[in-house]
Amino acid sequence: MTTTTVDFASVFEIAQAVFAAMVDGDEGLLVPRDDVGAAIADPMVAWVNVHGPYPGRTALTTSSATAYTLVRALLDVPADTPMAQADIVDAFGEIANVVGGNVKSLLPGKGTLGLPHVGSSLPPTLDALVVVAPLAWRGEPLDIAVWFTQERGEEE
Amino acid sequence: MRALVIDDSRVMRRIVAGNLHSLGFETLEAQDGQQALDFLAAGEHADLACIDWNMPVMDGLTFVTKVRANPDLRGITLMMVTTESEESQIVRALAAGAHEYLIKPFTPDAIREKLEWLGLVSGGDL
Repeated sequence: MTTTTVDFASVFEIAQAVFAAMVDGDEGLLVPRDDVGAAIADPMVAWVNVHGPYPGRTALTTSSATAYTLVRALLDVPADTPMAQADIVDAFGEIANVVGGNVKSLLPGKGTLGLPHVGSSLPPTLDALVVVAPLAWRGEPLDIAVWFTQERGEEE
Repeated sequence: MRALVIDDSRVMRRIVAGNLHSLGFETLEAQDGQQALDFLAAGEHADLACIDWNMPVMDGLTFVTKVRANPDLRGITLMMVTTESEESQIVRALAAGAHEYLIKPFTPDAIREKLEWLGLVSGGDL
């Protein structure tokens, strides 16, 4: 049995640092949200898996509209400039990749990070949900969830 | 100065390249380590390579190992730019021959400071 240091505070700290560095240029636009459990309409989900002795996953979920806004902020693209769907998927996945890569450093074992995926829903997840961080970015819901298994999986 | 930006994310390549342009670099982009090796084998010149770790086809660590095994490519400064933040991974990359390691997310100041330390950018270039 292994203990974990993954909790709301650690996930929120990582997410704040990522959003400040990559998206907003400053902290403060990503904040905790009160309406925990509220469903996010028209979701876009980006996730990255950890492979190795303790498999895990980090996932970001927000509405498609918020994901588009997030990517525009990341790339400094004006609202009236068209963007390719491939770039939106790529950028949203990269944000999950950076958050997930930093969350991985909190997990036990020496796992390897997979490539990011983006979709409208998650594939079947692992058994142990460690933490869900209900957040809001510029007032719009954005959830971060972290899973990892407490028991050793297969080495890769 | 010319930099090779290697990342499977087009968006991340754009971000890294944008930072390098502001520091006076020309850039060439590759989507994985194999494509980067192909560019170099075809005669493309690079003073610096900024390398993601996790990529399909050929990952960044393999690219670093292959560049270091080729005497013709010893002049390239290799900097990992990756989300892999554990100390053990940093040690692996440096042991394989990377000169510097930048953890995502990074700020423009962070990339400039790394390149100053490597002697590729002077303090007055910004």
